Parts: sequence; structure tokens; C-alpha cells
Amino acid sequence: MTISDTVTGSQGAVSITGVQKAFAGRSRKAPGRQALDGFDLEVRAGEFLCLLGPSGCGKSTLLNLLAGFSEPDGGEVLVDGTPVTGPGPERGVLFQTPMLFPWLNTLDNVLYGPRARGEKGAAPRKRATDLLQTVGLADAAASYPHELSGGMRHRAAFARVLVNQPRLLLMDEPFGALDAITRAAMQRFLLELWERDRMTVVFVTHDVEEAVLLGDRICVMSGSPGRTRAVFDVDLPRPRDLEMTDTLEFVHLKRQVRESLEASL
Amino acid sequence: MTSDTLKPDVATTTVDAPAQLTLAGTRRGPSASRLLWGAAGIALALLVWELLSLLKDDHVLLPTVPETARTFVDYLSKRYPAVGGKTLWQHALVSLGRIGLGWSAGVVIGIAVGGLMASVPVVRHLVDPLIEITRPLPPLAFIPLMIIWFGIGETPKFVLILIGVVPIMIVATVAALDAVPEELVQAGRSLGGSATHVLLTVRLRSALPSIITGMRLAMGGAWTSIVAVELIAATSGLGYMINNAGVNLQTPLVLSGIVMISIVGIALDTLLRLFHRSIDPTRR
Ligand SMILES: Nc1ncnc2c1ncn2[C@@H]1O[C@H](COP(=O)(O)OP(=O)(O)OP(=O)(O)O)[C@@H](O)[C@H]1O
Ligand SMILES: [Mg+2]
Repeated sequence: MTISDTVTGSQGAVSITGVQKAFAGRSRKAPGRQALDGFDLEVRAGEFLCLLGPSGCGKSTLLNLLAGFSEPDGGEVLVDGTPVTGPGPERGVLFQTPMLFPWLNTLDNVLYGPRARGEKGAAPRKRATDLLQTVGLADAAASYPHELSGGMRHRAAFARVLVNQPRLLLMDEPFGALDAITRAAMQRFLLELWERDRMTVVFVTHDVEEAVLLGDRICVMSGSPGRTRAVFDVDLPRPRDLEMTDTLEFVHLKRQVRESLEASL
Repeated sequence: MTSDTLKPDVATTTVDAPAQLTLAGTRRGPSASRLLWGAAGIALALLVWELLSLLKDDHVLLPTVPETARTFVDYLSKRYPAVGGKTLWQHALVSLGRIGLGWSAGVVIGIAVGGLMASVPVVRHLVDPLIEITRPLPPLAFIPLMIIWFGIGETPKFVLILIGVVPIMIVATVAALDAVPEELVQAGRSLGGSATHVLLTVRLRSALPSIITGMRLAMGGAWTSIVAVELIAATSGLGYMINNAGVNLQTPLVLSGIVMISIVGIALDTLLRLFHRSIDPTRR
């Protein structure tokens, strides 16, 4: 259908080489902070990559560079071979909180992107209503964000990003603020969505189990400045579900990742 | 817009929770019991007034409530001054016109300057001290200057209202724009909106409820300065009428003018509150 047709798996490849990013100190005396110092990362098109690392190691900094919210001091950030120069709808961003526009109802929130880009005709509306169906919010199309539950808001934020048919999905601890049950539901939902559309995903998390459950690959970072400490291939079969977290392979991999993460502290 | 600041994660999704101007405990519409208590409060105040005026028994010092009410109703159709004057309504309309003009211009200027200050740090550093200096000054203090600079026509009155409105609007606008989470703007940009489009449809839109609260405050400020404004060689307007009636010791008329100011003020504030409610779905 609409989404799967247009989002082909052959796009959204990320290539980060030698990226530098420093933040200036508050005063002349306080030294600046090198958040990233020569960071490299390759993400294949259609790959689900999880970024794991201690607090302050530069995960959000990296994601902001990819999103185009900030520029690197040095090095290259390429998406599909072209340097990132600013934010764009082909790179969808999901924040820790849904960041819906409280003055727009769910449908209008989803339609913000197409309207802002001046997309004409009935196509965007059709896409938006289809997506709301997909995320289970068809009945909440006319509701305002404050009338939705936490999980519903996250799903609305998903729909708002997906309506732009992004090639790359950037998520910064998107489920960090959710309770355990809602978080599990959102993980399942994200997996189903990704199985269907296979866009490239860069997913930042603190949670080792979440990383192993979702990712094709896990990049464990150490700080600071942020570096890649280890990369794990997750060879667990797809489609995955929560039952898998009890299997031996899962537990084994989880322990390896955790040990690597703890060593990086 | 796309500054490379990484804000600490903001835990709120509803962006705006402006301070209520009314002292009411709830934000929903007035409940029956609240209306009843409010009416009782007013009735009590009128009762105290009536008792005091009966005790004093002096027209000039404090007329009774019925006498004041009668004067009010009389002057709705009677002219003041008797020759070449205007009715209470007409005086109110004159003041309303002055305030409407000064307030609208002040709101536009305040939002524009506040918007600039919130986006360009240099402008902010430049204008900030000026506002801090002018804010505590009472409008009365400017009257001699206004007359020297602008004479005694409508211009000094207009400028005097501006002086009251603009700083309030600037402060409110800057605070409202500052309170918009960076991520909300980033969300708009990464959904494909251009910088200008996001500035208008996200940043400004998100700040709008708080800006309207500022507009209400500024409207109040404009009315508080109307008496001072109309001390400048005015021949009409509620402020003029109050001043003049006071000089002639027509206390009931002074009180009628005050009541009129309060009525018009409440009416305007109600309009702004309705506007606020219509653009903020969380308050419906
Ligand atoms: N705007 C900023 N100004 C100054 N320093 C910053 C800024 N943003 C980030 N930093 C610094 O850069 C480093 C990396 O920050 P970043 O937010 O990327 O960490 P993170 O890995 O996302 O951490 P967390 O897991 O806690 O979200 C930190 O040392 C932080 O102090
Ligand atoms: Mg972070």
C-alpha cells in the first residue's frame, strides 16, 4: 500500500566519519566540552541500529547532527551519500516526549508536515487517515493531544513522522518516559512497523534489553568524548517478540552487551 | 532556530500553562455557587458603603448607593458638562477609542519587539535595561514631558498609553517565546516546515495563549492610566469626566465614572478571555 510502496529498503544509509563536536564552556575560563571526537558510524540502508551508552557520552549530540539540528565542527555526516545540512522530512525524528502540537487535533498534527511543505490534493489526507488506522488512533483523529493517553500520544507522534515517508527514523530514548506495559506495547508496535516498511532506524536507548530486542546491530559507546566501544551483531531471528527475551541466546547476548557497557563507565 | 543547544529533556507535552488573571480556583466556566458567592461579596461591599454613607450623612464625602445609581442612570442620557458635553456612554466611547488605538498599536509593537528580543540576543541585551527602567514609572510622571514634546492634542494621550502597554507586551512576549520548548520547534522543522513557517505556525502559535494573557494585562494597564491620560487638556472621556466632576465636588458622578470604567474594562477582558479560550483547546 501507500507506505510500503514508497519507502523502499534501499535508502536511508548513514555514513558518519571522523565527526567532531564540541560545546563551548560557559565562561572564558571554563573549558569547552568535546562531546564527540572523531566518531565513526556506518548504518546500512534498512538496518535497525541501537545506540547504547552511558549518560553524557554524546548519543543525543550524534542524533542531533543526523537530524540536522546542529552541525559538526569537523568530519562528515552523510545520509544516502549527501551531507546533512539541516532538518528535513526524509529524516523523521521522534523525541523522548511526543512533542505533539497541543493546539492541533490528532489528524491535523499528522497533517502538519504535508501542509507545511505545501502538498496539495487528497493524497496526504488519505495517507494520514490510513496511518491513524495503522497506529490504532482512527477514533481519536479529532481528539486533542491533552485528551490522549501517553501511549496514544507516542503513536500519534509516530504517525506524524511516518506520513512524510521518511527513509531514516531517528529516535532518542522514545519510550524512556513510559511505564513498563506501555513501553512493551510500543516496542511491539515499532517492530511490526519496521517489519512492514524496513526503513533505516537509529535508536538511542539506555536499556540493554530493549537494544537487544529491537536492533540488528548494537553500537555501545563510551564517553566522554564519545567513542564506539564495541559493536554487537544481533543474530536473533525475525520477526521478534517479547517471548524471545527468555531464550538462552537472548540472555547470553544481553549479558555480553551489559558487560561491555559497564566496562565503558 | 536551529541553534545547536541540546536542551534537557522537557517532560511536558502541553506547552503552555499561563497564569490565570482571575483569582478563581478552577479554570472551567463559572459554576452556580461561585457566581452566588461573587454576588454576595459585591452585595456586602455595597452594604458597607451604604452604612458608611448613612453614618456620615454627607453627599460630597460619600453619596448613598441609590443616589449614585440614580446619577449613573441619569447620565446615561444626560450630558456632562450640561453645555456642549457628552453622555456617560459617549465619554466611555471616547475613552474606548483612545485605549483601543493605543492598546492595539502597543500590542503590535510589543509583540514585534519581543519577538526580535527572543530571537536576536543582541537586541535583547540592548532593550532589556530600557524596559527595566521604564516599567516601574507611573504614567503621571510622563505627562509634563508629553505636553512639552507633543502638545495637548491626541498624540500625547496616544503615546502615554503606549508607554503603559508596550513594556508589558514586550515582557509577556519574550517570556512566552522563551517558554516554547526547543524540541517543539525542531519537530516542526524536521517535519519539513521552513524556518519562517515554523516560526509562525509553531513558535508563535505555541506562545499565543501566554501572549494573550499579556494582552489582558496590558489592557488593564491601559485603563488604569486613562485618568492620567485624560488629565492632558481633554474635553471628553471618562478620565476627563472623573477629573472634572471631582473638581466640582460631584462625587456621585465621580463614582459613576469609576463604575463605567470597570464595566467597560470587564467587557473587554471577557472578549479577550473568549478569544483565549477559542485558540487553546486545553481550556475548552
Ligand atoms: N548544549 C550543550 N552545551 C554544552 N554542553 C553540552 C550541550 N549538549 C550536550 N553537551 C555535553 O555534551 C556531552 C554529550 O551530551 P549528550 O546529550 O549527547 O549525551 P547523551 O549521551 O545523550 O546523554 P543521555 O543519555 O543522558 O541523554 C555531555 O557531556 C554534555 O554535557
Ligand atoms: Mg540524550
